[in-house]
Amino acid sequence: MTRPLTILGIESSCDDTAAAVVTRDSSGQVRIASSVVIGQTGLHSAYGGVVPEIAARAHAERVDICVKQALTQANTALSDMDAIAVTAGPGLIGGVVSGVMCAKGIAAGAGLPLIGVNHLAGHALTPRLTDNVAYPYLMLLVSGGHCQFLIARSATNFIRLGGTIDDAPGEAFDKTARILGLPQPGGPSVEQAASTGDAKRFALPRPLLDKPGCDMSFSGLKTAMLRARDGIVAEKGGLGRQDRADLCAGFQTAVADVLAGKSRRAMALYLGMTPAIPTFAVAGGVAANTAIRAVLETVCRENGVAFTAPPLALCTDNAAMIAYAGLERFDAGLSDDMTLSARPRWPLDSSATPMLGSGKKGAKA
Amino acid sequence: MTSDPIILGFDTSGPYCAAALIKGPLIISNRHDDMARGQAEHLFPMLEEMLLSSGSRWQDLSAIGVGIGPGNFTGIRISVAAARGLSLSLGIPAVGVTAFDAASLGVERPVTAVVDARRDRVYARDYPGEAPVLVTLDDLRAAHVTGPAAEIAAQHCGADIRQSPYPVAEAIARVARQRFPETSDPPAPLYIRPADAAPARDLPPVILDDA
Repeated sequence: MTRPLTILGIESSCDDTAAAVVTRDSSGQVRIASSVVIGQTGLHSAYGGVVPEIAARAHAERVDICVKQALTQANTALSDMDAIAVTAGPGLIGGVVSGVMCAKGIAAGAGLPLIGVNHLAGHALTPRLTDNVAYPYLMLLVSGGHCQFLIARSATNFIRLGGTIDDAPGEAFDKTARILGLPQPGGPSVEQAASTGDAKRFALPRPLLDKPGCDMSFSGLKTAMLRARDGIVAEKGGLGRQDRADLCAGFQTAVADVLAGKSRRAMALYLGMTPAIPTFAVAGGVAANTAIRAVLETVCRENGVAFTAPPLALCTDNAAMIAYAGLERFDAGLSDDMTLSARPRWPLDSSATPMLGSGKKGAKA
Repeated sequence: MTSDPIILGFDTSGPYCAAALIKGPLIISNRHDDMARGQAEHLFPMLEEMLLSSGSRWQDLSAIGVGIGPGNFTGIRISVAAARGLSLSLGIPAVGVTAFDAASLGVERPVTAVVDARRDRVYARDYPGEAPVLVTLDDLRAAHVTGPAAEIAAQHCGADIRQSPYPVAEAIARVARQRFPETSDPPAPLYIRPADAAPARDLPPVILDDA
């Protein structure tokens, strides 16, 4: 018999404020009792990206509101919780601080344990929340802020095989949409335009695909897109709709090629561990892209590896994944005290060489 | 017989963690720990020590008073988020108190409350008066000043200083005591300065209709 647990989760590390209640019953069945997400797309749309100070201001006045809604929707109360789990990093520090401080206030007043959760662990453990995937499994986390291959060995043990050395693909999709006059967020709008485009018309680079290892780069692809666009604009005085569709198709195929090629390498390393039930899980907003998903599924079929991707609402930022990651930590006897820090940088795999922002402050992710 | 309400006031809008516990009109405990950073880690352990040493529990509180600034943006958010979390879990009101209202509590009127805004500027609010403003020290006009930037403001505009009778957290708790039975709005930061953000630079291209 499993210990039943009810965990409140809080997430505020980028531009979504979220709260959720996740329960596990005595049979071990995990259920999302509620999951509330308040987005900020409208607040940032004029700026062409998430503005940290604007995000921080919104989170500070929304975390408690999200929590109230999550409790109401789950028809439960703080007195029914076993612990409060909160994203303690990595992310935009202003938002993370608001989440952590609100969580401390809730935990203190309700007399509940506090659990600091790594945002990346939340994404990486989602396949267990949705599909009860067994350890060890291979994970590609690919979103607007992150892109990395991880092997999840337990709730607290992750091996990072590689990741982007500059931008994340989701960010490149947003940038592509912006330079082509398509609406934000760029993922869906670029995918839609690409559906009528010719991917072969523009020769776009596949950065680092020819290099060994699982590291990736998307910054050069963004620059190549800008050059290709400027070339057409210089020639015609503007961009035709077909030009735009062809650019989008070329871009999407380049991203898919890089992710597929690097997934093959990551999979070879993972299969070297001879996992009992080989599984590849993909999470993050970019996992919603049909073309990218299709090439990743193909790579899995080639290697006899099961493919899984959580539903979109659990791929993008949410608090159910934080509550679930908190549940696994709490189950392992882990919790934090009231000195819990909000951390802008917090690599999931502390043993791996830093990939991003490896300055004197240490690795970002 | 109803007992006097116990109110906890705290503030991290400057380089410190400040807290005070009052019972009715009486001060029970006052604390001010200077620190340039680390308020997010320090605040709750400090509040819990304070409650413990005065023999109180979180559940004994009738209301929270919280400093909403203006001041350090992150510092204000630390306290406001904490207060909103406590308000939710304890089921008691949290009252947001501006740095001006805290500084001018019990100070003879007319007076201008001033808070440092850095780069030779101050946030200022007149009592009696209306909305606070952000002004350069050179543009500040006041005869009597109070608050954390009173000294530098007085040097610039020749005003005389009227000392605040209470430490900041105690003043916040006392203002909260006056207001809490009626307060319904949750505390929100008072920034005055808008967020630093530039509109997107890269303009979209002209889209031509295909022939």
